[in-house]
Amino acid sequence: MDLKTIIFYVFAALLIFAALRVITARNPVHAALYLVLAFFNAGGLWLTLQAEFLAITLVMVYVGAVMVLFLFVIMMLDIDIKRLRQGFWRNMPLAATLGVLMVAEMALVLSTDYFGPVAFPGTKMGADYSNTRELGRLLFTDYVYPFELASIILLVAIIAAVVLTLRRRKDVKHLDPVQQVAVKHSDRLRVLQMPAEKEGE
Amino acid sequence: MLENYFPVLVFVVVGMAFGCMPILLGWLVSPHRPDSEKLSPFECGFEPFEDARTKFDVRYYLIAILFILFDLEIAFLFPWATIFKEITATPEVKLFGFAEMLVFIGVLVIGYVYAWVKGALDWE
Repeated sequence: MDLKTIIFYVFAALLIFAALRVITARNPVHAALYLVLAFFNAGGLWLTLQAEFLAITLVMVYVGAVMVLFLFVIMMLDIDIKRLRQGFWRNMPLAATLGVLMVAEMALVLSTDYFGPVAFPGTKMGADYSNTRELGRLLFTDYVYPFELASIILLVAIIAAVVLTLRRRKDVKHLDPVQQVAVKHSDRLRVLQMPAEKEGE
Repeated sequence: MLENYFPVLVFVVVGMAFGCMPILLGWLVSPHRPDSEKLSPFECGFEPFEDARTKFDVRYYLIAILFILFDLEIAFLFPWATIFKEITATPEVKLFGFAEMLVFIGVLVIGYVYAWVKGALDWE
């Protein structure tokens, strides 16, 4: 067994362990942190396949951003763990069926000639080969239109996020400094013209 | 190609050791004499009366999702940067390599301006 195989097995074993803990951990926060570990190991596996850009994007986007969002969502939901576990055995048959179906589907896809190790024997590239460069070359020449469409999708996501979650809080005693500075003395002080009155009248 | 990742491996090992060693050392070296008073939850002198978990404000979610979207935008910049010289070196597509990224960022700037004007970036 050469070094590369050993590294593969280390990453793969850690990945499977982390993935199992994601679905078995009782505390959802722990599950999310194990998912982070799973992402790191998947990134490591991709590095050994010389897909450096994908590996670093996985760490940057999924670990750095998506998992933070996951944790926020877990915190926001106010999960009652005891109540969550009540329906476990009732939902078990449906969940198990779906799980078995998904595993069978994946096994079928991976065992065909299109996706098996026969179809992708793996390429040996030199140390100066840059996966990022190859990706950029395709993305910014042949696939420019899908690339620009991606920006539209991101724009839709920004607008959707703002529309769905932006709430003005009514109970905050917040003062806008711009309005405070822009106040004129006529807004605050009114000088009344009153006729003079004589004493004793 | 694995030799190229030796510095990364060193980094990972040192990072792990930096995180794990203090905990391990503390567990090994420190005296370990628990009693029921020491192990009970402590909250500034009074009995804890509710769950430590409280609901987060939904606005954290908005900030996080905006961060993800602009993070993805940045991710597209890296392959573009590695290929930029090569694209602009070809005379017929000289401006194209620059313009395609300008259009991409331009569309996202619309979203940025929208979020800003709507006050999504304010924290009142």
